Amino acid sequence: MKHIVMPERREGPVDPMPKPSGPTEEGGGPKRPDTGSPDKDSLLKRMRKVDPKQAERYRQRTGE
Amino acid sequence: MRLFGLETEYGITRDDLEEVDPVVESMELVRAHLTASFERRWDYAGEDPHEDARGFRVSGLAQDKEEDEFAKLDAHRPFSFHEMKSDLVLPNGARFYNDHTHPEYSTPECRRLKDLLAQDRAGERIIQRAADRRNQSLGGEYVQLYKNNTDFHGHSYGCHDNYLALRSIPFPQLTAGLLPFLVSRQVIAGSGKVGIEAQESGVVPGGFQLSQRADFMETDLSVDTMHNRPILNTRDEPHADPKTYRRLHLIIGDANMCEYATALKVGTTQLVLDLIERGAAPSLELEQPVTAVKQLSRDIDLKAAVRRQNGQTITALDIQEQYYRAAEHTLAGLDEESDWILKEWGETLRLLAQDRHALVGKLDWITKLWLLETFMREERIGWDDPWLASLDLAYHNVHPARGLYLGLEAEGKAWRMTTEADVERALSAGPSDTRGGLRGLCIRRFPTQIRAMQWERIQFTGGLMPRTLEMGDLFEPADVRACAELFETADSPLDALKAWNGRKDTGS
Repeated sequence: MKHIVMPERREGPVDPMPKPSGPTEEGGGPKRPDTGSPDKDSLLKRMRKVDPKQAERYRQRTGE
Repeated sequence: MRLFGLETEYGITRDDLEEVDPVVESMELVRAHLTASFERRWDYAGEDPHEDARGFRVSGLAQDKEEDEFAKLDAHRPFSFHEMKSDLVLPNGARFYNDHTHPEYSTPECRRLKDLLAQDRAGERIIQRAADRRNQSLGGEYVQLYKNNTDFHGHSYGCHDNYLALRSIPFPQLTAGLLPFLVSRQVIAGSGKVGIEAQESGVVPGGFQLSQRADFMETDLSVDTMHNRPILNTRDEPHADPKTYRRLHLIIGDANMCEYATALKVGTTQLVLDLIERGAAPSLELEQPVTAVKQLSRDIDLKAAVRRQNGQTITALDIQEQYYRAAEHTLAGLDEESDWILKEWGETLRLLAQDRHALVGKLDWITKLWLLETFMREERIGWDDPWLASLDLAYHNVHPARGLYLGLEAEGKAWRMTTEADVERALSAGPSDTRGGLRGLCIRRFPTQIRAMQWERIQFTGGLMPRTLEMGDLFEPADVRACAELFETADSPLDALKAWNGRKDTGS
């Protein structure tokens, strides 16, 4: 089988993605969650604010 | 790396209305973004969703009848076709418009994952800023936008991933190589969903599955996108020189909130395309791919095995493992980004089998499940509680103060692959090494001298004849940069075009 390579591949090596294992750098990713649960003072509060009937009312037309 | 891009249709609603007209709301939302320098009429010439990659043209699509019905209704509205579509091309080369009653953001073409992630996140910001402006005019925070794929009542809308591929690869070879991979890709790229749906015909509430779109897959291959949805869409609109290229248009994917999931979804897919082009993809024909998509989606323990044509069975993780091993064997050392994808792909498969909690904040379905299970424990509710579907919806809200994923990210529990500086740059400019960036540059420099645009060409005003920048084969980064330099420095687009055409004629 003849190997075919996309022409734009000829460009030299590109910058690698930021390593997700570098949590201290901006954009490098935060630390893995260590509490076993979302922050109870903020995220759970945000979750409780969600109207339990929101999905029941939500209607869209079929898209692609 | 090859060219790729994402098209995302957002869900839209109004909290203050009992009944929402999605045509008006989508149109008004896009137009809320409008400034004088942005509006450009999209040139629909050359777009034909009836062309099939299998080598024929269909006479009609399953959605045509419904579309005709809507067109009759829309004819009575006080808006023209162009007003309803409200097609905008943005300074970053992205397209933002009203597509099938959903606001849609299409990233500019990218060749690096980091650019794609930044452009995808820029899309979330652009669409939310449009909602902010719209809400300002409405006098309250009524318009809500969701980067998801279902309304929980049997209506789905898409997030399509697109890849430039060589037409010299026979389509059956693409099909055979891609189908098993796409059926199992949801273990990495699924966004998770509460309940089970059927296309426009019903819903079974409760329970959790990997994918938002799996319920809506109805056939292996089809040119259709709104009904009879296929695992592998055969629409043949290359948006490039059709003799050399095809555009692989995948509609099976979920819209991802996690940047890491987006990176792996697109990254692993392009590696599989590389494998197919080298004749190195594993041979794993499944007996019933559509059944397998649903079966695997509904098994959050990842233990379900689906039947292969050879009579054996195989799990989703084993399918992915075989593709990963083939890619590792064939493509390791290709370039740094490919090596990054390989490393993260292998590690993710290992964690899915051994320690999935470590993937919270990386993969959407695991993150959403973790949030919902925590909430169920706190509130002492079960999977039959309708609140969970609402929380599922809220996970995808792109309002920074309402969205559950964005809240998680703000708490530092989601893995960012982009920086805020990356996203800011992506709001104002496209990638410098693709025609998408060149498109954005033309919008920024010559906003009043553009007659029409589409993916592969830009028509400028001036002179008796339209002057067109053809980009159907403008893919080499060095060529893109050379062309961009001319448009960056020329006094007029026609000067730049003249210089570019002269350069091409002399072959320099």
